[in-house]
Amino acid sequence: MNANHSNRTLTLAGRVIRQIARDRRTVALFLVVPMLVLALGALLLRSEAGAVPLGVVNHDEGVDVLLVGHVSLAERIVAALEEGEGVIVVPLSAAEADEALRTGQVRGVATFPPEFSAGFAQARRATIPLRLEGSNPTDALSLKGNLTRAAIQALAGLASLSGMPAIDMHDLPITIETTYLYGGAEYDLLDFFAPVYIALIVFFFVFLLTTVSFLRERTQGTIERLLATPASRLEIAAGYMLGFMVFALAQAGLLLLFVVIVVGIHYAGSLLIVFLVLALVVVTAVNLGIFLSTFARNEFQVLQFIPLVIFPMVLLSGLIWPVADLPDILRPFAYVLPLTYANEALRDVMIKGRGLGEIAPLLGVLILFGVGMLALAAATIRREVA
Amino acid sequence: MIDAVVVENVHKAFGSIQAVRGLSLRVPVGQVYGLLGPNGSGKTTLIRLIAGLLRADGGTVRVLDAPMPDKAVLAQVGYMTQAHALYNDLTVRENVGFFGAMAGGVTQARIDEVIALVDLAERADSLVGTLSGGMKQRVSLACALVHRPRLLLLDEPTVGVDPQLRVQFWQHFRRLTAEGVTIIVSSHVMDEAERCDRLGFIRQGGLLAEGSSAELRQRTGTTTLEDAFLCFAKGAAQ
Repeated sequence: MNANHSNRTLTLAGRVIRQIARDRRTVALFLVVPMLVLALGALLLRSEAGAVPLGVVNHDEGVDVLLVGHVSLAERIVAALEEGEGVIVVPLSAAEADEALRTGQVRGVATFPPEFSAGFAQARRATIPLRLEGSNPTDALSLKGNLTRAAIQALAGLASLSGMPAIDMHDLPITIETTYLYGGAEYDLLDFFAPVYIALIVFFFVFLLTTVSFLRERTQGTIERLLATPASRLEIAAGYMLGFMVFALAQAGLLLLFVVIVVGIHYAGSLLIVFLVLALVVVTAVNLGIFLSTFARNEFQVLQFIPLVIFPMVLLSGLIWPVADLPDILRPFAYVLPLTYANEALRDVMIKGRGLGEIAPLLGVLILFGVGMLALAAATIRREVA
Repeated sequence: MIDAVVVENVHKAFGSIQAVRGLSLRVPVGQVYGLLGPNGSGKTTLIRLIAGLLRADGGTVRVLDAPMPDKAVLAQVGYMTQAHALYNDLTVRENVGFFGAMAGGVTQARIDEVIALVDLAERADSLVGTLSGGMKQRVSLACALVHRPRLLLLDEPTVGVDPQLRVQFWQHFRRLTAEGVTIIVSSHVMDEAERCDRLGFIRQGGLLAEGSSAELRQRTGTTTLEDAFLCFAKGAAQ
């Protein structure tokens, strides 16, 4: 009797193995995809955090120190910054500073006033004004850290020269005073993350819902019947798009209100424009779903699209790492993801308070993605039957 | 127009498999034409070619005087697929209404009428997923009929339908042909074939023989259509 039991168990196990092994794509995916995702993560995490461009406006006139001669503290700090690997120093004039921040040429600007060294010589204290672009909290941290480190280094060098007392690490004589072009000190990581999180969630759910519903339409044979009516493929794809749009926008709207009212994130721009961007995200998600449903024979295979489609979006679309900081081999992939453009547009509106006109190029790219995917979706509906 | 459907020397291959090879047939208006043949003989492919779901590799398919595929003609074609292709999470009325609206020009009264016709008035607001196989088949027929098509394509319409219901189906088919509707029905049920005006024996993607049930039996000197079919098949093989 025991032998019989184990026989049945073995037979059943054999059947399960045979069934799964026959689905070659599933086997290939579950062997290969985790490695791909890990490789992607490794590339991202191992890549040296790129040096952040820091603008420097140096008006420091220096000061004459007994026995040492003419000394400019600012120059020494800049030299220390240039020695380090964290930042790239970009010399700027005061007039250029804000423009350089706005265009993204630099992510922050440190300004040394004319009496910087003289003031320090007198009071043994100095303040460096640091103006930050403000839409990326990671940059802000990195710039502040690098600037502090450089200042300590410069002061330590000076101390050994002139016999100044050693620096008290608990009460640094240099203070960094931050101001922001966009946002402000009250903007935190969440404000940076929340707008794009909504886009990702909306994309993910709409993509999954469409893929499964369209798959059902195929497996139940209703698509066959639908195509035997005068309805055109474009009408079908567009109908799907509109239908899912209702739910996706309800979801997006609710999430948006939730993060604004309950979570209390800060935003500078119009929520209506945010909504418009999310609507365009839905268009691309629905049509990508219809398109990819052609390549799935069952719901199980739909699940396999998650690591293939969603993981790269999470890692590469600027959600966590800014696209500009991606390793060179990965950056091109970011530019073929619609979410990259949506994320940039969302941050432009939410954090920088930009208007429709300023994000128009990004919206244009999203519309192109939408139209392209719609054409692709309509084409695959045709491929299925003719 | 004498013929509702004209198929001329049509070829269709799927990869290396020749599903239809040089098939020609004509279906006169107001007739019930039966496609009879074993599974895999090409019946469904032929019906899909006529429904404009497939494009022929060679030859022509004309439906109601228009070369297929032609979307505009499809408003006048009703197509009932083999599997009950319905939305299980919609009610009977919603399913019939949906396909009616896709074809266009269908009123609520017509939807109710056609649901009553397939004897499902009491279940009109039930979800299709909760119905039995036979009931689903009837919903499927209602969806194919709702827009008053002039050509009805029925792929194995009475599979899984009990004999009583089958009789009802055929009574309705006859009423339709009396109104000038043309019906093409595929089947491998011989009893059903007997009821067709004209039959085409389909084998290996070609038309083996054609005629009324009586003619086909007479020509082979057999008493059943089954024997007649086997007789033609044997002749073709030799």
